[in-house]
Amino acid sequence: MSRGWVHCRVGSFGLEAEWSIQSGEVLVLFGPSGAGKTTTLRAIAGLLQPESGHIEIGDRVVYDSASGVSIPTHRRRVGYLTQRYNLFPHLNVAKNVGYGLRDWSPAAAAERVRELIEVLRLDGLEQRRPWELSGGQQQRVALGRALAPKPEVLLLDEPFASLDMELRRIFRRELRSTLTSSHVPVMLVTHDREEALALADSIQVIDEGKRLTQGNPLDVLGQPGQERVANLVGVENLFTLAIESRNPRNGTMICVGGGLRIEVPLDSNLPNMGAEGGSEPSSDTNDYVTVGIRASDIILSTQDIQSSTARNRLLGNVTHVELVPPGYQITLNCGQDLQCQITGAALEELGIRPGMDLWAVFKASSCFLIQPPSQAELARL
Amino acid sequence: MASITRRRSIGLPNTGAGMGGAATLLYVLFIGLPVGALLFKAGQQESFFTTLTSGPALTAMRLSLVTSAISMVVIVLVGTPFAYLLARSKSPLLRLIDTLVELPLVMPPVVAGVAMLMAFGRRGVLGAPLEDLGITLPFTTAAVIMAQVFVASPFFVRAAKLGFQSVAKDHEDISRTLGVSPWCTFWRITLPLAAPSLLTGLALSWARAVSEFGATIMFAGNLTGKTQTMPLAIMSAMETSLDTALVLSVLLVLGSLTVLAALGYFAQRHWQGEA
Repeated sequence: MSRGWVHCRVGSFGLEAEWSIQSGEVLVLFGPSGAGKTTTLRAIAGLLQPESGHIEIGDRVVYDSASGVSIPTHRRRVGYLTQRYNLFPHLNVAKNVGYGLRDWSPAAAAERVRELIEVLRLDGLEQRRPWELSGGQQQRVALGRALAPKPEVLLLDEPFASLDMELRRIFRRELRSTLTSSHVPVMLVTHDREEALALADSIQVIDEGKRLTQGNPLDVLGQPGQERVANLVGVENLFTLAIESRNPRNGTMICVGGGLRIEVPLDSNLPNMGAEGGSEPSSDTNDYVTVGIRASDIILSTQDIQSSTARNRLLGNVTHVELVPPGYQITLNCGQDLQCQITGAALEELGIRPGMDLWAVFKASSCFLIQPPSQAELARL
Repeated sequence: MASITRRRSIGLPNTGAGMGGAATLLYVLFIGLPVGALLFKAGQQESFFTTLTSGPALTAMRLSLVTSAISMVVIVLVGTPFAYLLARSKSPLLRLIDTLVELPLVMPPVVAGVAMLMAFGRRGVLGAPLEDLGITLPFTTAAVIMAQVFVASPFFVRAAKLGFQSVAKDHEDISRTLGVSPWCTFWRITLPLAAPSLLTGLALSWARAVSEFGATIMFAGNLTGKTQTMPLAIMSAMETSLDTALVLSVLLVLGSLTVLAALGYFAQRHWQGEA
């Protein structure tokens, strides 16, 4: 278990972080570069002195500005994995893994090293030097080194940043199973959506040193409630539309604007961000809403699918076809530009090319309402 | 047109290579000829080993070895923590001190000797208080060591500083998160990783200390067995016995070559390809 809060100042950058992680839980810190993710990890590890704060690791208070407690890094029992691994170049694999076990009896240390080498499939590489290893092997040695002294919290700073796509997928799965079996609370920093979804039990979005939101990864990344969060996690379609009519019985309403006319969930469902967002929940008297639709939630069809449950069917003209791995992104002009994500196979089968007319089909529930920026947020921009 | 342009573009590097080759030859001769002549003349002597083991040469050699060894101990003990601080601190005061470290490198050694006399000499700033304590520094073996430390320490401090700077701060941070105290981290991570640079600096520093002449003769004088190191003995011998001068010179040249070989070895030993 680890929880706490810190206020840090590094030059002109201010950070206000707050977290709570249960044993065996992975909390992902998600945000752009410079958001304060690494600073948070370094403050927890004690490598950076906060201005004020309270940090608990396991059942110990390792930092508390009010009572003046500050346990130095080497007695905090944190495992810290940096982006570039920083394996010790003058030590071989076994000695790197066993580096933190100096206080253990030689027999116990040797046993622990052997165990980790086996779990991380590094057998046969014990005598290798770091520069004789592949990127993936280095990553596993670094993970083994961090796990060896049985830390009470594991801090992972973009652990996959220097691996290629293929390896990332493999190691993500590996890391997930290693973490599950070690029962250690984990804070993982990333700015990769896919990585966050694959690893997070809980996700916290931070930007400019402030926590924007926290919750279940699917909710936060799939249907973000705040405009800034939506921009950060990359929601492809955001429209500001006027409310034409509400239909409380269906739980939907009709919104129009810029040539679009779509049915979306009723705005009384707009998540109340409470103390978090700092603004009043929207009332029924709002005339405008911001609507988000993920590009992957839109179905494209050459014909109008009339007999379907999808509430929205829009005819549009293809203006752009762009390769966005793993598929293609189609820009469809339906009055306003709509971004749609499709696979390469679908592109070929339908023969999609610019200038073509297509129907965009999506459910009302695929549309989500986004809370407008609060006064405080507007003031910061 | 095209062919002319092409011929020119080929011609220029050729001319450059030709000039470079000539310059290299000239330079190698310029450095190699005197060294070669020295070795040749010394080799012509029939009494090389008798001269080597004769009183004056042996005394000077022993003194040079002992004083330079003590100087190296002093330089390493004081220079290492100092260099580490220079490498890690960002304070403006230390930036200034960092520049001052280089002063002995550009200062004429004779001036260094005069300066040390002004500080520790009998009529120097600290001369009287030291004398009250019963300490006399000028014209003693201690003065030889002080002169060597003064002129030779920057070579070590500079190399050690660069060595420590090349050790990633992240390595030290990681070590601390693994339960190793900052003090142990220095011994287990920082020092081993910076070792090649430290040894390079030590070799350069030793070469400079052994060849020290100007500051020594000013501050320590030229007393046989007490302050007359090898370079001083060579100068004295030139007036009386050319043989002794040649033998000592050859020894110093061999010492320099050893240092060069050591430098090459340390440079290769950097933590990229070393097993």
